[in-house]
Amino acid sequence: MDQITFKRVFKWGFINFFRNGVVSVATVLVMSLSIFMIGLVIIGSIFLNGVITSLEEKVDISVYFKAGSPEMEILALQENLQNNADVSSVRYISQDEALRVFKERHASDDLVLQSLDVVETNPFSASLEIKAKDTSKYGDISKFLESNSAANLIDENPDGEKKITYRQNQAAIEKLATILTTAKFAGFGVSLMLAIIAIMVAYNTVRLAIYNSKDEISVMQLVGASYAFIRGPFLVEGVMYGLLSSIFTIAVFYPMFWWAGQKTSSIFGGLNVFSYFTANILEISLILVGVGLFLGVFSSAIAIRKYLRV
Amino acid sequence: MIYFDKVSKIYSPTSIALEDVSFSIAPNEFISLVGQSGAGKSTLLKLLLAEEKPSSGKVFFESHDVHNLPRKELPGVRRRMGVVFQDYRLLPHKTAYENVAFALEAAGAAEEDIERDVPQVLELVGLMDKAWHFPHELSGGEKQRVAIARAIVTKPDVVIADEPTGNLDPVNTQDIVTLLEKINDLNTMIILATHDKNIINSLHRRVVTLDRGKVVRDEERGKYVL
Repeated sequence: MDQITFKRVFKWGFINFFRNGVVSVATVLVMSLSIFMIGLVIIGSIFLNGVITSLEEKVDISVYFKAGSPEMEILALQENLQNNADVSSVRYISQDEALRVFKERHASDDLVLQSLDVVETNPFSASLEIKAKDTSKYGDISKFLESNSAANLIDENPDGEKKITYRQNQAAIEKLATILTTAKFAGFGVSLMLAIIAIMVAYNTVRLAIYNSKDEISVMQLVGASYAFIRGPFLVEGVMYGLLSSIFTIAVFYPMFWWAGQKTSSIFGGLNVFSYFTANILEISLILVGVGLFLGVFSSAIAIRKYLRV
Repeated sequence: MIYFDKVSKIYSPTSIALEDVSFSIAPNEFISLVGQSGAGKSTLLKLLLAEEKPSSGKVFFESHDVHNLPRKELPGVRRRMGVVFQDYRLLPHKTAYENVAFALEAAGAAEEDIERDVPQVLELVGLMDKAWHFPHELSGGEKQRVAIARAIVTKPDVVIADEPTGNLDPVNTQDIVTLLEKINDLNTMIILATHDKNIINSLHRRVVTLDRGKVVRDEERGKYVL
């Protein structure tokens, strides 16, 4: 395409967009709805992953050792655990540290502190706090601990059970693991479905807008306009649909997430969707503009092919 | 210069639009195609514009078989034919000036040529004062004059007019016919499809009569006879 044709294609793309008035506005609004859905899917899945990760981080198990267990052996077990592929981190809490943490936590509760003085000795056990890479692996880690050579150091309940908190929290941890896995799958499925619906809606909207011009396209062909000269302005209009729709959507998202962030941060354990949005606003904007441009240009290109056959 | 070689267009066994039509048209000729509705006039013109393909036979524009042109060459051949339709077919979102300029822009003409030629042609059809009106602001006769301006602005070798006066009153009809004669005097071939008896009888030019898809009469200075 030579320079003068290129210039004319742009000129007519812009002029047509504004002269088509109602059709252009309607197309931008419907496309905004599609990009809005895609944006929600993207931000929603990033946020959901964040919530899942933060929940997973809150899950851990602790192993309590018998009083007087040699620290060397506990540290050896810690190292052993760190080499385990399922384990993400292991923290050693000595008896002294456990006491210190307890005192700090109950600094304002004189009765509790006085009762510690009555006991005289440090009643706390040394422990290892273990985080798994995946919540479903806690069962395996627990078994690993029970079958380990250092298992005899692990404190036991009066009924003979090893003091591994997995036992007490097993049901809760397993339930959470199932919920998280389901949430990930469901999130992906819903996202995919919404994205497909959004793409179909955007495509058909642009197609309808071009369908409106099908008589014009045939006249242009009969007047001797080349395919590129006919197609070009429609692609420019597609770019404008996409660009304006994505900008409009971002402008709607800003106050919406601000409001949603305030209302929902307590539900998501302090995670604020608005801070997620603002922290990633550049990436999100780029993705939405990219999606908008792709939808606008791709839909126009496909739709116009149909009417360029005279 | 234009040659229809044994052209048939059969939509279905019971719907035969054209059957074995052969005739040629010389450069600078003014030819009228007459016949009742459904005789095949519009189909013949659509075949010439490569808007439709013939079931058999060939249509030549100079040496080009218009239905066997590479896809990219078709717009170039179409630019050498100006077209005027009964329903005007102007681009609704473009002004009269822009509609005429569009044909030149599509042909890749330079801006200064467009700025020189479009006002000239609009002047010729008597519409310079309505150059910036949109089609919906023009009367039927005015729209048709814009369509003619668009058809001739690229200085085509042939102007194809398919029932150009079908929607017009007698005064406007006469204006359009006079305009077509003027264009023909400037050495442009005119192919006029019409069923208006008065036009044909006043022209005293070549008349090809079609009936049920066949050429039944071809006379040098013909009259309207069905």
